[in-house]
Amino acid sequence: MIVEAGNIALAVGFVLSGYVAIASIAAGLRRVPELAVSARHGLYSIPLILALSTAALVYAFVTNDFSVRYVAENSSLAMPQAYTWVALYAGNAGSLLFIALMFSILAALATLSIRRSLPHTTPMAIGIMALVLMFFLGIIVFLANPLERLPATPPDGAGINPLLVHFGMFIHPPVQMTGLVAVAIPFSIAMGAMLAGRGGRDEWVDLGRIWAMISWLILTLGLLLGSWWAYTILGWGGYWAWDPVENSALMPWLAMTAFIHSIMVQRRQGMFRMWNIVIVIVAFTLAQMGMFINRGGPVPSVHSFAQSTMGWLFLMFMGVTLLGSLAAFFWRMDSLRSRGRLQALLSREAMFLLQNVLFLMVAAVTLWGTIFPVLSEAFADNTVTVGEPFYNRTAGPILLGIIVLMGVGPLFPWRRATVQNLARSLAVPIAAGAVTGAVVAALGVRQPVAALAIALCGVAAAGILHEWLRGTRSRLRRGELVWVAFGRLLASNRPRYGGYIVHLGIIMLAIGAVGSSFYGIQRDVALSPGQSYSIDQYTITYISSDRRLFPDREEQMARFDLYVDDAFAGTMEPTRTFYPDLRIAATRASIVSTPLEDFYVIPSEIGGDGDAVFRLHVNPLVWWMWMAGPVMAVGAAFAMSPQRHRSPAASRVPRSEQAAGA
Amino acid sequence: MAVSSAGNPLRTSLGPTVPASLALIGLLVGLSLTVFLAGCSQGDSEDGLEDRAHRINRTLMCPVCPGESIDQSQNPLAVRMRGIVTDRLQQGWTEQQIKDHFVESYGDSVLLSPPARGFSLLIWILPPVALAVAAAAAALAMRSMRRGSEPAEVLAGTELTDDEYGQYSRRLDRILSDPESQA
Repeated sequence: MIVEAGNIALAVGFVLSGYVAIASIAAGLRRVPELAVSARHGLYSIPLILALSTAALVYAFVTNDFSVRYVAENSSLAMPQAYTWVALYAGNAGSLLFIALMFSILAALATLSIRRSLPHTTPMAIGIMALVLMFFLGIIVFLANPLERLPATPPDGAGINPLLVHFGMFIHPPVQMTGLVAVAIPFSIAMGAMLAGRGGRDEWVDLGRIWAMISWLILTLGLLLGSWWAYTILGWGGYWAWDPVENSALMPWLAMTAFIHSIMVQRRQGMFRMWNIVIVIVAFTLAQMGMFINRGGPVPSVHSFAQSTMGWLFLMFMGVTLLGSLAAFFWRMDSLRSRGRLQALLSREAMFLLQNVLFLMVAAVTLWGTIFPVLSEAFADNTVTVGEPFYNRTAGPILLGIIVLMGVGPLFPWRRATVQNLARSLAVPIAAGAVTGAVVAALGVRQPVAALAIALCGVAAAGILHEWLRGTRSRLRRGELVWVAFGRLLASNRPRYGGYIVHLGIIMLAIGAVGSSFYGIQRDVALSPGQSYSIDQYTITYISSDRRLFPDREEQMARFDLYVDDAFAGTMEPTRTFYPDLRIAATRASIVSTPLEDFYVIPSEIGGDGDAVFRLHVNPLVWWMWMAGPVMAVGAAFAMSPQRHRSPAASRVPRSEQAAGA
Repeated sequence: MAVSSAGNPLRTSLGPTVPASLALIGLLVGLSLTVFLAGCSQGDSEDGLEDRAHRINRTLMCPVCPGESIDQSQNPLAVRMRGIVTDRLQQGWTEQQIKDHFVESYGDSVLLSPPARGFSLLIWILPPVALAVAAAAAALAMRSMRRGSEPAEVLAGTELTDDEYGQYSRRLDRILSDPESQA
């Protein structure tokens, strides 16, 4: 009964999104306010309708209603109750419903936020969002309905993919999916403004930027959570494998990172109007590409839990939106002429453009590496693999260049820099970076690239801290307290200083990546109970192992004592679980994490006689990568928090503090 | 501290302290670079067998677990391949010989980065070409953004948007209607 109601709601949602799309675009083109209001209210009601369908599916899961095909395929009586919520998005059909629900919520919120300040843009933006929603709902209703009934009710379900049974599963996949689809919001706002003929006015930029930041933040968190999940459960000691699905989530992130920077140029100088539209089209295309690869694209991946045969539909939708967007872009190109001109190559504007080029290059290289095996197969009949060594050699140098820009770019003033003011603002950061490089080289970092990368991180960090120090100090002279002064300095330019906080997070991320990829140690050791093994300051003594049989799985747990510098540091119990039916093994590593390094143990094999093979990792600085997430979230939230426009004079730091511009 | 003068609110008063602080910083940079280069040039004193094996393992794919290197994978085949790598290294084989050996048995796809020959040359050629093209395009774009006659630039900079126009006319109205502010 409830399932049928959910089904009807799905159909209603599909029809309604079609109505909203047509009505809203018609209202925008013909300027019919009443129709626009009707379409808007229609859009607001879609999240409620989809919430009903989702609730019906959750209800089917909680009540173990195996007559519903999707429930039978993704749940079982043995499954812990908590995971019935996760099972909702553990397969293809359910995750599509989840995506549609999240997107409808975001679309409604975006509409609420733009409708007053962007009256001309809103109907068009709503129309585009409704089209996207209609695509998802169409697939759900006609091809992948999670509420579809089976002809006969099986006694038990097939159960969930065991790799998904982890705390990370509660967060990473939904966040990642939401992030990908959230890219459609800034896309819709930008395209809506352009289609409404308002692209030449920069009124859409503030809200477009905020929604771009929101989608960027969700994507960032999705990526970090995914890495963290891989690190703790997939049991290979790493966090990033350049797997096609990882790449497909990284590419839109790269494009959005380019966009949230270049949009600042339009916001400040009225330039890059066409360029920003192009980037947002690229970002949305790459986000669709991500969904396509995740749903059964042509590339093999460990992320195939949502795989299906409908990948090609996503590819077609991607092609259609790309062509449509480009057509609209050329149609409206004349309205996108820049207000300002680029005055000098030594300027913030030029640095932003360079940043964009580098980020899009990383995205292009990633795309190239991701699709190359398919091309090679098709055109040369030669199966090749593109993995980490390729990306290290191609994307690696560009990423180093990006760190350089992150260090020096923000110190360039808008419009035009002179050699003198550049020398003045760059001197301290560069000196600090050189000292950092020398210090780490003296401490034993002998790999030139690693030392260089850390030195560049030093430049970037010093640039930020130096500017904060100068700004705070000049406020102190007005008699403010230190923390008040610092707080007011940050509040005086939230996009800039929020961005700085994000940059600090990126620096932490880079340090963690450099430390673990250049100086990670890995050892495979075979031990019998009672034996010990030492690596650096860590000594493990293997005590015993335990084997427990469950109906669906076999759990093996190894117990060992850990000594750090010969002092007892605790007993650890990593486990390895094997699911014979699915032929999948999941490991839960034991990790001792400090800011300096992680000590990481995975049991790879535990024999019947108690002998075991362990894989030990010492991963330097990984801790910083996970800490970077919250820092970046805080920075991004700060950068997009609404700032009341004050008269320029009131918020300005004294002139020379502005040498670096704001 | 000389450096702090950069934060002085009066640009003109920086005067002679700037060259002094710059010189100091230059000295610091030079010294650091020397230490840095000296440090790096020593290199890693010697690579142990395990490290060399590890480096090779990271470039070989486990044939039965797509995308995973034999270094990561816990699959029995990967374990056996790791054993072979270590054995061959002990026998004095070079990295290239070992890789060729695996390519012979499993084909090019066993390498995690395609070899630079045949069709696969493309994967290596395209990125630098694309980077060059992108850089050239960016340079051209910047040049065209800088072009244009001066008057157009002035006009472009002073064009009022509707919002600005409304804002100014409101302010004007307010001033005209409020006798106090005329003072």
